[in-house]
Amino acid sequence: MITVFVEPDNQTLTFERHNTVLMLQKRLGLRVNDALIIRGNELLTPDSRLNDGDEIRVRKVMSTG
Amino acid sequence: MKCRKCKATAEVALPSHNTAFCRDCFSTYFTGQVEKAIRRHGLINPGERVLVALSGGKDSLSLMLELSRLGYDVTGLHVDLGIPKSSGAARTKVEGFCELHGLNLRVVELEKEGLPIPDIKRYINRPVCSACGKIKRHWFNRVALEDGFQVLATGHNLDDEVARLFANTLRWDAGYLSDQGPCLNAESGFARKIKPLYRLSEFETGCYAFLNGIEIHTAPCPYSGGASFTGHKRLWADLEHQSPGSKIAFYDGFLKRGRPAFAHVEQETGAPLAPCEKCGSPTSTGLCGVCRLAIAVAERRAADPDRQ
Repeated sequence: MITVFVEPDNQTLTFERHNTVLMLQKRLGLRVNDALIIRGNELLTPDSRLNDGDEIRVRKVMSTG
Repeated sequence: MKCRKCKATAEVALPSHNTAFCRDCFSTYFTGQVEKAIRRHGLINPGERVLVALSGGKDSLSLMLELSRLGYDVTGLHVDLGIPKSSGAARTKVEGFCELHGLNLRVVELEKEGLPIPDIKRYINRPVCSACGKIKRHWFNRVALEDGFQVLATGHNLDDEVARLFANTLRWDAGYLSDQGPCLNAESGFARKIKPLYRLSEFETGCYAFLNGIEIHTAPCPYSGGASFTGHKRLWADLEHQSPGSKIAFYDGFLKRGRPAFAHVEQETGAPLAPCEKCGSPTSTGLCGVCRLAIAVAERRAADPDRQ
């Protein structure tokens, strides 16, 4: 199980399994540089592997005014 | 994915540059882009005092931190818009950031100046974002001039600049196209305005803020829904995704080949500017636009039975 917090929407999502960050981004409809993908205190690149139990923070970067 | 420079594990992938960096090399890259912008466009001269407009978002706080690390004499300016549940949170982030890094900060409270944005929304019949932007620019310039700053820096990034250039191009607005760029020189009562982050995308400033532990204000303004620039940014994000490097190529190409052509044909046709009779800011109409707004708000507030 992977838990995903989406900012600034303040959504919490759970997924059974995603192999990589790129797969998660596609599932969320995000392009590579649409959001920071954060695990703990590190940033993840699209090829980074996700593990069971991961808590991932997705921080969208597009400012809206 | 490995860092292109040192081969350590990368944390930042940048398709636009066909590269990826670890956090240390990304920091070096980020600094290099800011230095290149300053050097290429003569944004800051030695010894100049720089006033940095701070909203509490990733761009302005990243700019402030980077300019201070580069050794520039920087002071932050935050305009507290007076919007319930929003402005207080943004101000807290700005104050906490400046205290943490030992940076100077000035705060202008629009409530005290008689122009809180909720009153603009309530009493003035024009788009609130337009009036808010006008008021913020007024105070940025006014504080810069009154407090002896030579330069006013804002955190506009590449995405902001491309979206604005795109909007100006859609309208073929020769006036704006003649002077849009990372540096607007001081003249007629205006401080020099600079945008040192113009070479860096929103994603890159977001990465910088995160990797430097900057606590940012992320909630969108409750009044800003549907701003046209956001739609333009989405269009450009699609284009950049399909063709990495499109944004910087479009903007750099404009600076090199587009703007000079517009500057050449655009003649100064506006009325001459003089100091506002009330606040001293440059205006062509006796009272500047912000002082007229303040008077209109005060009159309508006084006539509002709900505010008696």
